[in-house]
Amino acid sequence: MSETCEILLFQVGAGVFAARVHDAVRIGSVRDVPAEDLVVITALGTPFERTRGIVIAAGEDGREHTLVVDQALGVRSIPAADVRALPPLASECLASRAVAGYVELDGALTLLIDLRALVRERPGAAPTAPNQRAA
Amino acid sequence: MRTPQELERKKPAKKAAGKRGQVDVARIVDVLKAFSVGQYGGRLDLAAFEGSPLLDVARAVNATADHVEAEIREARQRIDLVSSGVDQAIEALVKLVIQGDLTGNLRLGVADAALTPLIAGVGQVMETLRKFVTEIREAALQLSTSSAEVLAAATQNESSTSAQASSIHETTATMEELKGASHQIAENAQMVASIAEQTLSGAKTGEGAIKAFMTSMEKVRQNATEVDDAIAKLSKRVERIGTVVEVIDEIADRSDLLALNAALEGAKAGEAGRGFSIVAAEMRRLAENVMESTKEIKNLITEIREATHAAKEASDGNKRMAGEGEKLGGNAMQSVSGILSGIQETSDAARVIHLATQQQRTATEQVVQSMAEIEEVTRQAQSGSKQATGAASELTKLAERLAELVKRFTVE
Repeated sequence: MSETCEILLFQVGAGVFAARVHDAVRIGSVRDVPAEDLVVITALGTPFERTRGIVIAAGEDGREHTLVVDQALGVRSIPAADVRALPPLASECLASRAVAGYVELDGALTLLIDLRALVRERPGAAPTAPNQRAA
Repeated sequence: MRTPQELERKKPAKKAAGKRGQVDVARIVDVLKAFSVGQYGGRLDLAAFEGSPLLDVARAVNATADHVEAEIREARQRIDLVSSGVDQAIEALVKLVIQGDLTGNLRLGVADAALTPLIAGVGQVMETLRKFVTEIREAALQLSTSSAEVLAAATQNESSTSAQASSIHETTATMEELKGASHQIAENAQMVASIAEQTLSGAKTGEGAIKAFMTSMEKVRQNATEVDDAIAKLSKRVERIGTVVEVIDEIADRSDLLALNAALEGAKAGEAGRGFSIVAAEMRRLAENVMESTKEIKNLITEIREATHAAKEASDGNKRMAGEGEKLGGNAMQSVSGILSGIQETSDAARVIHLATQQQRTATEQVVQSMAEIEEVTRQAQSGSKQATGAASELTKLAERLAELVKRFTVE
């Protein structure tokens, strides 16, 4: 039996992204979350709506931040071999360091996002050390 | 004369004397007989009567004859004289008449007392003639003037009569047209009266229709109010449904969120959580179905709200229109009442006009008849006027002729 990888699919704006399920603590509503814990504007863009949020424990202190997304599309189990690292050229060209790789879903390439890294590089967050970049 | 006694005494001598006497007497008788037939030329031979007692008688007879012849001669001379005077007078008169000179007096070449009455008579005749001629001249002048005036008047009269005849003819023609027009007007008036009656009937029907319309408008307004109430109730129900749907949607959203987290936890659990993930996925599908349904319900509620709003506006419009319809109906009712009154008056007036036009037609026909008679009379008058003009013209000519004739006589 081949090794699988569980990913969470979500949508920010017009883009669909994937993340490892272990990066997400839970999926919740943003209504009850304090504004300072919300992460709205990220390298993925700005969501159209502010209804769903992916709760992420990004800090070393375990503080949770909620990444505001338009939709949490669901969880999928894909072969681990389908998870690919970014080519060096692409890695260098991207401004965000939160892109951990990409997966191919239904014939389309979907970026695999390191949610913790994404939250950490949000505007106003403490600078990220180079060795903290996701693999 | 001798007495019979004397004759008896002288009988012897008497016998001879008696024979002579008879002869003498016979002679005398012969002469007297010639006298009796107007032959006064015979005379008795007085010598033969010498010694005759009839000598004196013979002398007396001859003297008488002489005297008578003298008287006859004198009478003949006088007759000749008078005849000459008469001839002169007649000749003078004829000459005066032919020459027309009445200025002088008659003067004869002879003078005789017997001619005095004649001269006086001729003078009186001439004077009378002068007067006549003068009067005739004046009369001719007046006649000429008057006849000219009569001719002018007759000509004017003829012209006027012709113009009058023409006018009367035109008037008659016009009256004929008027008669036709009156007939047409009478028919039209009758038609108008009929139409007015029909219009009156139609207006009464319209009045009934307006009353029915106003009743319908009242009913529409009531129905609109009921519909308004029903729409308000429906709107409340829809709002209630919206609230319930919101609750359901919230529940579905939470269910979706729970299912999503369940799937997330199942995935984190790896193979052990696979079944959990499948159930969570099914729950999530159901939640999404519910949310899709609630979304459709929301859309339907939105459509119902829009439809209700439109129905409310339509109902308000119906009420407003019904109110306006009632107002318009009231106005129309007032107008129809006025129209009915007006049509009633029109109908009455049309009947009166119809009667009047009938009378007018009858009167016009009478006028036409009278005009025809007047035209005939005028035609006769025109003919008479022409005859009068002709007569006046002839009279003028005669007056001129008379004046010309009178001019031949000189009186001054």
